[in-house]
Amino acid sequence: MRKSLMTAAVLLGVALLAAFASDGQALISLEKCTLCHGKPEFRKLLVNGAIRDVFVTGDSLKGSVHEKKVCTDCHFDVSEIPHRERPKRVTCTHCHFKGNKEGAPQSDNVLAYFESAHGKAIAAGNVKAPLCQDCHGDHQILKVKNAGSKVSRGKVAETCGRCHMEIYARFKTSIHGVALEKGIPEAPSCTGCHGEHRIYAHTDPKSTVYPTKVSEQCSKCHASVAIMSKYGIEAEQVATYKESFHGVANQFGSRTVANCSSCHGVHDIRPPEDPLSMVNARNIPATCGKASCHPGATANFAVGKIHVDPKKKEAGIIYWTATFFKYLTIGTMLALIVHIFLDMYGRTRRLRGEQGR
Amino acid sequence: MSKADLAQGKVIRMSLLFRVQHLLLTVLLLVLALTGFALMYHENALAQAIIRFEGGVQNRGVVHRIAAVLLMANMAYHIFYMLLSREGRAEFRDFLVSRKDIDEFLQSLRYNVGMTSEYPRFGRYGFKEKFQYWGTSVGILLIAFTGFMLWAETFSMRVFPKFVLDLALIIHGYQGLLGFLLLFLWHVYNVHFAPSVFPMNPSWITGKVSAEWLRREHPLEYEKLKGEGLL
Repeated sequence: MRKSLMTAAVLLGVALLAAFASDGQALISLEKCTLCHGKPEFRKLLVNGAIRDVFVTGDSLKGSVHEKKVCTDCHFDVSEIPHRERPKRVTCTHCHFKGNKEGAPQSDNVLAYFESAHGKAIAAGNVKAPLCQDCHGDHQILKVKNAGSKVSRGKVAETCGRCHMEIYARFKTSIHGVALEKGIPEAPSCTGCHGEHRIYAHTDPKSTVYPTKVSEQCSKCHASVAIMSKYGIEAEQVATYKESFHGVANQFGSRTVANCSSCHGVHDIRPPEDPLSMVNARNIPATCGKASCHPGATANFAVGKIHVDPKKKEAGIIYWTATFFKYLTIGTMLALIVHIFLDMYGRTRRLRGEQGR
Repeated sequence: MSKADLAQGKVIRMSLLFRVQHLLLTVLLLVLALTGFALMYHENALAQAIIRFEGGVQNRGVVHRIAAVLLMANMAYHIFYMLLSREGRAEFRDFLVSRKDIDEFLQSLRYNVGMTSEYPRFGRYGFKEKFQYWGTSVGILLIAFTGFMLWAETFSMRVFPKFVLDLALIIHGYQGLLGFLLLFLWHVYNVHFAPSVFPMNPSWITGKVSAEWLRREHPLEYEKLKGEGLL
């Protein structure tokens, strides 16, 4: 009985201490942390021999979006200095949720992330899947508009490429990767097509690159005359695709029919003049001739424009045939209607004549 | 012609076999038009409803092809029947186009605008029937040819360059539209709305027309039957 009372008292004491400690969190000042962490030689040797750099100064947050925060705002599990255990990974959701009062942006991106391929992987226990800080960085988190940000247009591919290495290598030499490198403002990076926090596997119907959604995604730029005319690219490719057998089947939900990337490639899209391009005339037999598409395709597949619009003069004989049929149909219809009225008129006269007889 | 028919003043104009061919042609052309135009005008809400009704774009293609194969079979049967049977050969001779048809067409035009008082006297088939018959035949052959090309698209593209298939698609669609409009305006007028037959020329169901109608519309045929003692 005495023993259990003692235990209860100890427990109560611990709880009270913990409460005081959490109240005191904000009181732990930067100076206290930099006492140790501010020494450049302050490093931790890990069991596997690697060195973890834990050097932090008062300038570490300077210029970042968290400039006004102190260490324990994020590392809130540090309640005593020096801390005995390694602090846990920072949980950004502490502040970053809709309705927060900390001044963090009011956004549902965190929730969206948990639904995404990355969030699901984390939940499934994949330790390699990225958390917020894997993409956004740790102490030097900058606004996405800031060119120095790890998730800025210019840098995000590199950030994704830290895990998706092969894809990054392919993307870098693709037309989009090259354009991005040149600083062309409209060139898409990874997030341009895949989304940011809402990234799903391409086999997930929610994905922006799901087979039936690809053309829509590409059309965001490629159907825009304002963007395409700047670089001398035709903007009607999307419209002509949608009119083609492929496009119609795709719009009615076929997942096996060709979409933009079936022919042009995915991360390795190159201009048709490039000998490595999937739609280079020399590669078209192989591209069209995939086993599930048109096996046995020949060079004939490349003879004639692929994205052809019969309503445009550039389509040549196709345009002229379509125009011929158009006027033939209109002409025939007019002639027939006139003839039908004449016939009725004639019949009436004949009928009158017979009655008069 | 049975005595009962003659007593009622009826003349057989379409035998049972032709009526069956005609009915098949009607149904199959309607199915082909419905499935074909749904694809051609796929952006239209009605077309999309039709495609959904047909079980999606994949099934639409299947229905279209089945109807096409049946139509080809019907057509092949018709050709054999026209060339090999006694009845067919007689019909075929009646359908041959000659100089006379052009003259009659021009004469009917002159009559209709009041330049002459004589309306041409047609035989069993006048220029209207011949135009309809040969127009439909040539149209169907053209559509069938391009249709098979598009059906076997991988094979066709191995033989022809890609633009030939684009052309085939254009011809297939526009020829279909032209043919369908012709059938609607011309044939439906001639057999339904023309004052002499309104509301319908019953021969496609009963096979018979009245002798009086024949006398007015196809006087030469009427006189021929009379001469043979069949009337």
